[in-house]
Amino acid sequence: MSVIYGWLDEYFWGATVVLKVFGVSLVMAVLFGLIGSAAKLSGNRIAGILAGGYTVVFRGTPELLVILIIYFGSAITLTTVSQAFDPDIQFIDIPPFWAGALAIALVVGAYMTETFRGAFLGVDYGQIEAARALGISNFKTFIYVRMPQMWRLALPNFGNHMLSLMKDTALISVIGLEEIVFVAEIATTVTVKPFTMYAVVAVIYLAITTVLTLAVAGMEKYANRHLETSR
Amino acid sequence: MTFDVFLILNSIPTMIEGLGITLKLLFLSTVIGLALAVVTLLMRLSGHWLLTWPAMFYIYIFRGTPILVQIFIIYHGLPQFEFIREGVLWPLLREPFGCCVVALSLNAGAYVSEILRGGVLGVDRGLHEAGKALGLSTPHRFIYITTPIAVRLAIPAYSNDFISMLKATALASTVTLMDMTGVARTIVAKTFAPYEIFIAAAIVYLCFTWTFQRGFGLLERYMSRYVKKDA
Amino acid sequence: MGEEARVPIIVLEKVCKFFGQFQALKDIDLVVNKGERVVVCGPSGSGKSTMIRCINRLEEHNNGRIVVNGHELTGNLRDVNAVRREVGMVFQSFNLFPHLRVVDNLMLAQKLVRNRGKAEARERAMHLLERVKIPEQAGKWPSQLSGGQQQRVAIARALCMDPAIMLFDEPTSALDPEMISEVLDVMIDLAQEGMTMVVVTHEMGFARSVADAVVFMDAGEIVESNPPAEFFQNPRNERTRLFLSQILSH
Repeated sequence: MSVIYGWLDEYFWGATVVLKVFGVSLVMAVLFGLIGSAAKLSGNRIAGILAGGYTVVFRGTPELLVILIIYFGSAITLTTVSQAFDPDIQFIDIPPFWAGALAIALVVGAYMTETFRGAFLGVDYGQIEAARALGISNFKTFIYVRMPQMWRLALPNFGNHMLSLMKDTALISVIGLEEIVFVAEIATTVTVKPFTMYAVVAVIYLAITTVLTLAVAGMEKYANRHLETSR
Repeated sequence: MTFDVFLILNSIPTMIEGLGITLKLLFLSTVIGLALAVVTLLMRLSGHWLLTWPAMFYIYIFRGTPILVQIFIIYHGLPQFEFIREGVLWPLLREPFGCCVVALSLNAGAYVSEILRGGVLGVDRGLHEAGKALGLSTPHRFIYITTPIAVRLAIPAYSNDFISMLKATALASTVTLMDMTGVARTIVAKTFAPYEIFIAAAIVYLCFTWTFQRGFGLLERYMSRYVKKDA
Repeated sequence: MGEEARVPIIVLEKVCKFFGQFQALKDIDLVVNKGERVVVCGPSGSGKSTMIRCINRLEEHNNGRIVVNGHELTGNLRDVNAVRREVGMVFQSFNLFPHLRVVDNLMLAQKLVRNRGKAEARERAMHLLERVKIPEQAGKWPSQLSGGQQQRVAIARALCMDPAIMLFDEPTSALDPEMISEVLDVMIDLAQEGMTMVVVTHEMGFARSVADAVVFMDAGEIVESNPPAEFFQNPRNERTRLFLSQILSH
């Protein structure tokens, strides 16, 4: 067990990287999900087709492949574009952190699109009619009437998507992000204790997902507080 | 930068070579995972703590950690132990293919048992009572009333999980297996044409996810043929 | 029936039932003789559903004795199953099996519990569908039927098991008004054939025309039990009078 102590610092920094990727990626995924679901519900044909294509492609392609496409693809694109301005530039790539965060946000955002869409549709149509009767504009109805009610319905699935997102961060080690799986790889080559080193990674992930699960449960309780009966 | 459409078309046949391993992984881990899921479900429903606790612990561990980490622990980690290397399972665990099947099956077992449990809990209590009132025994009620309805309720979630499994097989490429993603990564290393090759791979995956989704959709429609459409 | 001596077929003695701290049934005494029709009424939450659910042990009573057709209801599973074979039940919410066609709903328990062959079970099922006047619905899914039709299927499903006793738990409460009479007609037919019935209902017309006794329950107790003529003309208890004035005023 004592072999772990020498690596605690590295694991700690790796874990902060995991949390940073998670935070950045979650914000992007929620944005993609909101835009996607709004496009699907807009009634605009072109927006609907684009959003439909987005969800089909990113829910149907392995996360690992999406990460590889974004990382290597963006490197090629960036290099070509910048060589057009300055032929002396050798090679540019975007950091694995941003490529990875964007890639998993695109995937999870596709799932969130569907969840948000279902939740928006789950809000009673009478609510929209009531808002309309009061003369509230469609946009304001969306923001003030439908969104607050939609969250409650979306929460259970949203929680699951957050857990997937958290676990997907492990894949970014494949393109060289120095997070905890990466730390375990390095530590293994030094200590030759692969089980111990990867078990630490599993325990860290388990701890984070447990906290997330509890947080979502708390949020659900809060979101449903107006439904609790007085008895 | 050039985008070579012919390279996409030319690489698809090569990609198909990796398809065999992808589908074998998918099939084996789905079948074994389903068996594990049913056993786990029965343990959870037994109501005896000696059975429910291990089942819940198993589900907790495998749902709370990334599949990539599970694969690494089994493939890289287990050989750390003498008794594994000399045990009966060594021929299986020595091969990356065996390790992936074990990891994916265990993962599927944990997720699917929760999906099936959701289905069982979704069966209306009144139907149990009607069965009881007619004098049906507990096993009879489970087989003839609970199971068919629970399976119907579980299909949408199961179909999503099946697609996730297909996508998870791509992780096999991280432990040197030549599945579809593995083949794609090898070609990219040679040609350095990541867009063309990875997008070709993505297209093949999309064809499969689309087909499976359609298949499950038809199955669901058949299983729900007795449900009122407008309800 | 003839003029046989009155044979008690359901006996409840000092039956008590608790849900946690709440006492749903308080020392219930009730005797139903063979061939009798008993209507149970009372305000919601009075324990009437709980009482008839105890008779086929969908609820377990905590104290007292329940004897149905010679079997005492205890923890003994064999007696419970024997009672359930002989007691048919109709629920407020029908509880038809949604994944089985109408005729298969009627055949399932016959095959599994009565060990009848397929042909025999089907014949019996069709016979009973004719009796509730919807043989043409045999091949449909329950969800394709109206509420009244679904409840008649549920009655036929219970009758397929050749029960000695039929329990009805508010069989018409979930129905639209225009469908109530088609279900009551089937129940009246059944009563005229001499079936022993315990019916929880607020259909006072039904009680007046077919019941041998009307039982009024309130707050977990049987307040009053009398033949309908007496029950409606001269309600003795204040609570009964109040209930009747509320339910008959419109």
